[in-house]
Amino acid sequence: MNRPLSPLTRATLVEAPDDLDELIEFFHARRWSDGLPIVPPTRERVARMLSCTQRKPDEIIAKVAPGFGEATVERIAINAVMAGCRPDYLPVLIAATQAMSAPEFNLQGIQATTNPVAVWLIINGPIAEQLSVNAGPNCLGQGTVANATLGRALRLIMQNIGGALPGDMDRATHGQPGKFSFCCAENEAQSPWPPLHVERGFKREQSTVTVVGAAGTHNMNTHADNADELLRVIADTMMFPASNDYWIGGEPWLVLGPQHAAILHAGGLSKAEVKRRLWEESKMPARRMAARELQRTQAVRESKIGPINEDTMLAAADGPEGIGILVAGGPGTHSVYVASFGDARAVTREVIA
Amino acid sequence: MQVYDPTAPMAAPAEDLRQRVADLSGKVIGFIDNTKPNFNLLAQDLGELLLERYGVKAVIQKRKRSVATAAPNEVLEELARECDLVITGSGD
Repeated sequence: MNRPLSPLTRATLVEAPDDLDELIEFFHARRWSDGLPIVPPTRERVARMLSCTQRKPDEIIAKVAPGFGEATVERIAINAVMAGCRPDYLPVLIAATQAMSAPEFNLQGIQATTNPVAVWLIINGPIAEQLSVNAGPNCLGQGTVANATLGRALRLIMQNIGGALPGDMDRATHGQPGKFSFCCAENEAQSPWPPLHVERGFKREQSTVTVVGAAGTHNMNTHADNADELLRVIADTMMFPASNDYWIGGEPWLVLGPQHAAILHAGGLSKAEVKRRLWEESKMPARRMAARELQRTQAVRESKIGPINEDTMLAAADGPEGIGILVAGGPGTHSVYVASFGDARAVTREVIA
Repeated sequence: MQVYDPTAPMAAPAEDLRQRVADLSGKVIGFIDNTKPNFNLLAQDLGELLLERYGVKAVIQKRKRSVATAAPNEVLEELARECDLVITGSGD
């Protein structure tokens, strides 16, 4: 019954100042940026970006919540230019826009919530190397064009096409730095296990992007040198009473550093077994929650897991497969716990030029 | 210089769906419980008031799976079919 959208699927050109400083202010004044300077999306730059896909500029890839603006290939390209993306990044952003618009990702919730949730992009397959997406040292930090600009472009798409402006439709209490960009590749070369996209049903030679609703990153520095001890301290870190994963039954993620992954593998553990052990060992007594969280947990989870009282041992996900595992990062005794929004499920889409 | 506008027109608000109900007598009222604590109790009390004081014919109470997700389509379709008016909640 919605009124049909206006047929303006092609983007419009607007007159803007020639002076770069003034042009940047022009974008800030319209709230078309994330607070950082943008690269001007001129006709030439956008055309160069569009030359890296076989899709037509007016193809609608998705309608982006919460405003449900039409993400055409052209509008994705415009925001990609603004974020500083190289032209050959475009197919990744098209796949990412498809992925985040799948119903199970619950983008409407992610965009509008008070939670700090950011959209984490994980790149797998040959494209990661082709685009030099960092999967090694400092992969979640600064210093790599692809990691910095792919996540930034997706955020601009969420703001400009989805319409979620901070303090307006985006109701985040604090947000988090990951809302500027949150993107890495899997360190497939140093992982002892099949990579994420293979686990999720793709072939190793396919390229994919996976989106995750990530509430934040929590570092785990441990010199544990055997699998049992390492799993114990990771599981203990996963538990915290003010966690969305525990009251909703979420999808917590772990970014295992290659050293930690090697220890678990040397202990004879497959990825599925690591998940199973962590799921069991990270069960938290419901009494650690505040009374109101316990009420919320009962309201949301009892239909799935039966009666819940203070003595119930709550798992962070509905089942072991609900825990996400990525091997990434450089040398060091660190892994990262990525608590989730809770009410979103990761989605993977193939990257196709 | 000329640059592209990076925004997309937002979906038009469905103003034509907003049909007001003149009075509640004989009407069927639905509630969508957003799962926040006590919403069910509030809806229950409101439902009783609607039945006792306003001559409402029936009250249907449905619950979402969780606060941040939309109500399932079956629920929306059922409420659209059965109810003259639906009340939902947002926030705590």
